[in-house]
Amino acid sequence: MPPTPLQLFSSAMETAIHKLPSFKTINPSFYTARGTASFRVGLRRSSSSLSVSASADREGDQDLGHRTRPDFPILHQEVNGSKLVYLDNAATSQKPTAVLKTLQNYYESYNSNVHRGIHFLSAKATDEYELARKKVAAFINASDAREIVFTKNATEAINLVAYSWGLLNLKPEDEVILTIAEHHSNIVPWQLVAQKTGAILKYVTLNENGAPDIGNLKQMISRKTKIVAVHHVSNMLASVLPIEEIAHWAHDVGAKVLLDACQSVPHMAVNVQSLDVDFLVASSHKMCGPTGIGFLYGKSELLSAMPPFLGGGEMISDVYLDHSTYAEPPSRFEAGTPAIGEAIGLGAAIDYLSGIGMQNIHDYELELANYLHESLRAVPNIRIYGPVPSGSIRRAALCSFNVDNIHPTDIATFLDQQHGVAIRSGHHCAQPLHRSLGVSASARASLHFYNVKEDVDDFVRALKDTVSFFNSYK
Amino acid sequence: MISAFLNTALPLSFSSSSRSVKLTNHNDPGPKRTKLKFIINQERKFAFMPLKCIWNSDLEWNARNHSFCVSCLTATEVPLGSSEVVADRLGRVVSEFRSLTEPIDRVKRLLHYAALLPPVDESVRSQENRVAGCATQVWVEAELDELGRVRFGADSDSEISKGFCSCLIHLLDGAEPEEVAKVKPEDLADLNVGLHGKAHSRVITWHNVLIAMQKRTAALVAGSERERSPPLEQSFPSSLVATAEAQIPQSRWQKLDANLSRS
Repeated sequence: MPPTPLQLFSSAMETAIHKLPSFKTINPSFYTARGTASFRVGLRRSSSSLSVSASADREGDQDLGHRTRPDFPILHQEVNGSKLVYLDNAATSQKPTAVLKTLQNYYESYNSNVHRGIHFLSAKATDEYELARKKVAAFINASDAREIVFTKNATEAINLVAYSWGLLNLKPEDEVILTIAEHHSNIVPWQLVAQKTGAILKYVTLNENGAPDIGNLKQMISRKTKIVAVHHVSNMLASVLPIEEIAHWAHDVGAKVLLDACQSVPHMAVNVQSLDVDFLVASSHKMCGPTGIGFLYGKSELLSAMPPFLGGGEMISDVYLDHSTYAEPPSRFEAGTPAIGEAIGLGAAIDYLSGIGMQNIHDYELELANYLHESLRAVPNIRIYGPVPSGSIRRAALCSFNVDNIHPTDIATFLDQQHGVAIRSGHHCAQPLHRSLGVSASARASLHFYNVKEDVDDFVRALKDTVSFFNSYK
Repeated sequence: MISAFLNTALPLSFSSSSRSVKLTNHNDPGPKRTKLKFIINQERKFAFMPLKCIWNSDLEWNARNHSFCVSCLTATEVPLGSSEVVADRLGRVVSEFRSLTEPIDRVKRLLHYAALLPPVDESVRSQENRVAGCATQVWVEAELDELGRVRFGADSDSEISKGFCSCLIHLLDGAEPEEVAKVKPEDLADLNVGLHGKAHSRVITWHNVLIAMQKRTAALVAGSERERSPPLEQSFPSSLVATAEAQIPQSRWQKLDANLSRS
């Protein structure tokens, strides 16, 4: 009887070193202890989401991280002579083989422009591109795929709303509510639009727990408020905002809600209908999809009333020399040839994530989040930002931190050079937040479902060594 | 005359040079910077030996508390200001880092150089001296000495960035403005520590610091030319983009700027 995908999957992780063509690999057996089949076979067979979900059902003794790691060939390599420990997932996620194969298949088999040609390839590309839109809509439970606009990233999606909806609707003295924990991409577009319209930006500060102060936000909302543009999960604090409540408060005064879901959509089930947000933005590359593609969700009635953001092909119905008539959403907002292969790749990433199950991912990452926070707290002279996890307070699986008297970039450099641990350092595009915390930068370790507790152990061990190293120079 | 010893082994060989330097005199309530003559001990010539600094000042030497000009770490007897000096120093620094194949050794070497970076006055840590685009906070100041050569000071909140700054100051402090403008970022690619590849990135500290040094130099030269000639109508461009300004008759600073725009 040929081996089942599950058997191949398990055995793949415990074999000796097999080098992939383009980079050094390490022995995946670090993470498990069974099986004999080759890694190469395992990678090939375990690359689909089906094998993952199948193994999830039957493999109760293995956690999600161990089960999914073989789907990410990039993780099995050495960096600077050490096994790679990739903990920069809040910056970008890695891509499973299923996504890579989908991209290759698109360019090999049916690369063509969409919504234009009547030939076979164009029809196929258009079908797949529009299927990807339907996958995104289903993933966030939008009621209609036409509520999904493909953009180049979440930043462009926020700019689209700020310029199109904002310039049309914001007037002098109107208020836009943000938090100081917003990513720059959810601050700067509003600054630009406020400059043009005379609208006022109001920022919610942090509470004593180190999370955005919800009471402060509630008090801030008034009849002057026109839009509340906030993150779902903070990319630095790991805190989670109660979006349903915020949307309720905002809608009570007739204000709209834009949700920056870049750090939530890849890690938990997000339902735009139950959250009742008016706009939601997210980025493909943080959710195991390709770079160069993101999306905007907007309620149909809002998108229909919004003018175009960028002009060009695709977004028009008819063009005359003195005027044009605009296409209906979402085409109205997708000027020019879109990132077709990338959108289709995003669709494959959604298939992969859905195959695992977002609730499974979320449950596992909660466990990782607590383990990471608990392990890091044991490092002397460390300050971890954001709320302390408890029964009522849940954190995302990331920690931003500083160690006394050592620059976070020096820490990140040494971790990379000496230990092969990839973390982020800097202001994480959240300078106002860093200023409010009295620091100019921080280090950040961020996990995804393919990380395992051994990654956290390796990281903390390496961090302690890094701290010793720099302290020895003082 | 005071002698000073640095308790660190310097991997480059050093010899003498007489020059003016900026020193911070913490005891002097008057001008914060004092021009002093500063002579490296003529006796000391070899690598991996304690560096003995002697100058004709009554100030006490303390490497931690007073400014120490790293550019005294010249590797040749050639007078400062010669392009061969910059090229020679560049060659030595590049080959030094290239010879360090173990990542930890490169980090250690940078930390070593960081320790040699002269402390600067707190006022240097101003917003106008901030180097844009660094993952760490870096401040660079530049001024022209009486011979028209560029003197640099730098500081950072990161030890590794301080190491990069120290190397760059070693290369460029005391050079002619034209020489500062001539150095190309790709010449320094081997200084990369913690970053792979040669592409420009906003997190490559030495790249950003080098560009900042070059821009400040161009601005200084422009400023001194303005003092000698009718004021120019346009200010120094804030971005490294070639503009129509290049079409007006070129002054010395404009030539420098044009060089920068191409790099």
